[in-house]
Amino acid sequence: MSTTEPPKNMEEELDSEITSIRAEIRNLQRKRRFLVSSLLTSEPIRKRLQEYQASNPPSSRDKDVSPLLDAAEKHAETNHHRVAFSATTFPFKDPSPNSENPNLLGVRIDVCAGNGRFAKPYYVLLRRVPGEDKRLQVHRHTIPAFISVDKLERAFLPVPSAREEAQAEEPLKPWKKNAKKQDLTRFVHELRRQLATWYLRMDAVNLLRGKLGVVRRSVAAYHDDDDGVWTRDILSDNQEEIRLEANDLGIVSLSPTTLETTYIRLEWQDGRVGRFKLSHSGVVERAVVIGDHGRDKLLEAALTGGDAKVETVLDRLKQHLRGVPNA
Amino acid sequence: MARPKTIRAPTTASLPSNLRIPSTTPSLVKSFGKLTRQALLDLVFYWLDDRNVQSFAPYLEQDEAEGTDDEELSPYPTEQTIDDVRNAYQELQVRKGGKREVIDRILEGDWRHGITLRQLAMVDIRYMNDHPSSLRWTALELTRIFADSAQPPEIDASAYIPRVHASTFLSNIQKQISPLVKAHYYLARSSALPLTFLRIFVINSPYQNPRQPPETLTDSSRVIYVAFPDSCPFVYTSIASTGSKPSSTHAVATDTRSLQRIVRDAVPKALSLPQERYTLKATSLTAKSLQALLALRGPGRSNRAHGAFSIFADAVIEGSPLDPRPPNTVSPEEYMNRTEPEKDSNKDTEDHKEPGTSATGKKSRPSEQDTHIPKKRKLAIHSRFGTSGYLSSAPLDRLDVRLLDRPGTEGDDEDDDADHAPPSLSLTFAGSDVISGIRKLAELGVVDPERMPSWMTGEEAVSMAVVHRGHRVVKDSG
Repeated sequence: MSTTEPPKNMEEELDSEITSIRAEIRNLQRKRRFLVSSLLTSEPIRKRLQEYQASNPPSSRDKDVSPLLDAAEKHAETNHHRVAFSATTFPFKDPSPNSENPNLLGVRIDVCAGNGRFAKPYYVLLRRVPGEDKRLQVHRHTIPAFISVDKLERAFLPVPSAREEAQAEEPLKPWKKNAKKQDLTRFVHELRRQLATWYLRMDAVNLLRGKLGVVRRSVAAYHDDDDGVWTRDILSDNQEEIRLEANDLGIVSLSPTTLETTYIRLEWQDGRVGRFKLSHSGVVERAVVIGDHGRDKLLEAALTGGDAKVETVLDRLKQHLRGVPNA
Repeated sequence: MARPKTIRAPTTASLPSNLRIPSTTPSLVKSFGKLTRQALLDLVFYWLDDRNVQSFAPYLEQDEAEGTDDEELSPYPTEQTIDDVRNAYQELQVRKGGKREVIDRILEGDWRHGITLRQLAMVDIRYMNDHPSSLRWTALELTRIFADSAQPPEIDASAYIPRVHASTFLSNIQKQISPLVKAHYYLARSSALPLTFLRIFVINSPYQNPRQPPETLTDSSRVIYVAFPDSCPFVYTSIASTGSKPSSTHAVATDTRSLQRIVRDAVPKALSLPQERYTLKATSLTAKSLQALLALRGPGRSNRAHGAFSIFADAVIEGSPLDPRPPNTVSPEEYMNRTEPEKDSNKDTEDHKEPGTSATGKKSRPSEQDTHIPKKRKLAIHSRFGTSGYLSSAPLDRLDVRLLDRPGTEGDDEDDDADHAPPSLSLTFAGSDVISGIRKLAELGVVDPERMPSWMTGEEAVSMAVVHRGHRVVKDSG
């Protein structure tokens, strides 16, 4: 029995070594692929290659790189469109055999987050409504639930529900016809605005937190020492709890009430709690602060005062603190 | 000293959290026995924590000195201080053993004076956190009711999201149901999922200290769970949505079902504000897995993009606009960069029942042949199912489909004779994950991936559907 054990161990060891090496190889291959495609899309390299190809007639010995170059150029162009216009369209074919209009119009919306990375693209797939006029209808989408696509659709892409009713009404109210027109551009515009402002709001919260200093920990682990107010960070993808570092403003917690980040809740050391509303343009619209002795109107005014920008909220609070030394 | 007789008067208050259930109640052992030993110990340490011990006070020697009635010898001596109690459980923590000794210690030792309703609620919630698939959940959508004359106001693109401010919501729901039932509420945050649980225990007595047999207080059929997912206009309940069946002839029905109905009706009312009334709408989705509900009716991107469209929800077809790699050179797995461990996907406990027909009623064979699937079929499967049942999964444990098409007729003249009712065909799929099971059947060649209707790919994101010519028929319109 004992004689077979060492080889077994060695086997396992070798196996794990092999898997780790394989993973390493895969990583390096990925990296190489990434570097190759970045090189191919870079302008100077492309020019060099083209010059080289123009001067040297393509021989059978050299591999022809022009298809690769073409693909890279096409991809780079698409990406430029996506970065510049943020909303792009593409055709998509519904694979369902029962679909009457399998050709869908896809809209892709790219939003850049505060860290300079682009979020996962959002998609809306539109389908043509059967009928003589070219009306569109949202078929599938990946917009988060707190942005109501239904509402936007009703406003910008109305589809007459009962045709005969509309026709009966038309002679009476000719101006209604205009209102029933579909406006895809405005629909996409509004949708993109909702998504972009959502990311801006999340960035604002993260900025404020960064200014105050943040400590993070995972939710799963069991923590014995509960110093300070830990709140679950709903803005991060991995389950995390965060706590603000001790600061001279006395704020112990700053967190959005929902993923939508319209309302932001504040908590102070002395038990005061506050909430303010963040508008689409980054302005603190309304604020409420309640302490043990009722509302703190001065602090509320500090939150919404000045230029009311959310980025400068902490500066205003600091000024407020200096102005009222015994606060 | 005999305890002064309490005056019993009907009140509208909720059942107090500190109402004690006698520890001798046999069903308590069952309730506690659902948990593991470690979970029980965790709970006890939480109860004995400095901040909580007031609410969960254990039975100490000084209580004995007050001279309560029990004369018989308990197997567990009463401890002097709370620290002694803590030490006793620390000892159990380091020692190996069954969970029974922990339960006995709790019920016959340190909490011999009774388990409070709150403690029982914590036990139940803990069980649910450990076993997220222990109940069947129904997803309901919160929608706003407008008065007939009022038009929807200006475009405000944000959907309504219930903001559960715990105490306000509880006092509202209490106001709604207190004339009819008496209840105990317990709100808790899920440990792993973005959910808040509300556990409601209902009882049909108007009295503060109900004189019900203690078994009633532990009756699990009187417990209703409502889960509020974060940031989305949905509510999940553990109540089977029998829907519109208010046909009970009694004015005051007192069985548990009608008590549950009362609570269900009260939830949207409690969430409503003046000038802003809400109602709950069924969404034909019932599943055991909360994970599936969160994927299909949750805050994320995947609510309205399933089946073939899951490639968009997971964003696995194209990268970010800054990615220099052309998308056809990158695998979907790489785009899914968060490589999740495959959740027991090999465990294929799919049983494929088809009452009525047996055309495709074959047992799925072991999936060793996966490696040599014809390329064409593989492509078709990928285009039909996208990533569902492969990279991402929303495990439905049951899928009920009613087909309105007449079997055998592929033609289009079928709605001309309306006088005889068309035979309808109901299919029920059951298993641990129905959609990935169908995907596996497609891989094995049992299901034709190109010709199957889209509901088989999970595209409709429902667990109950009425289908006509491959399309789901929504009840309101037909």
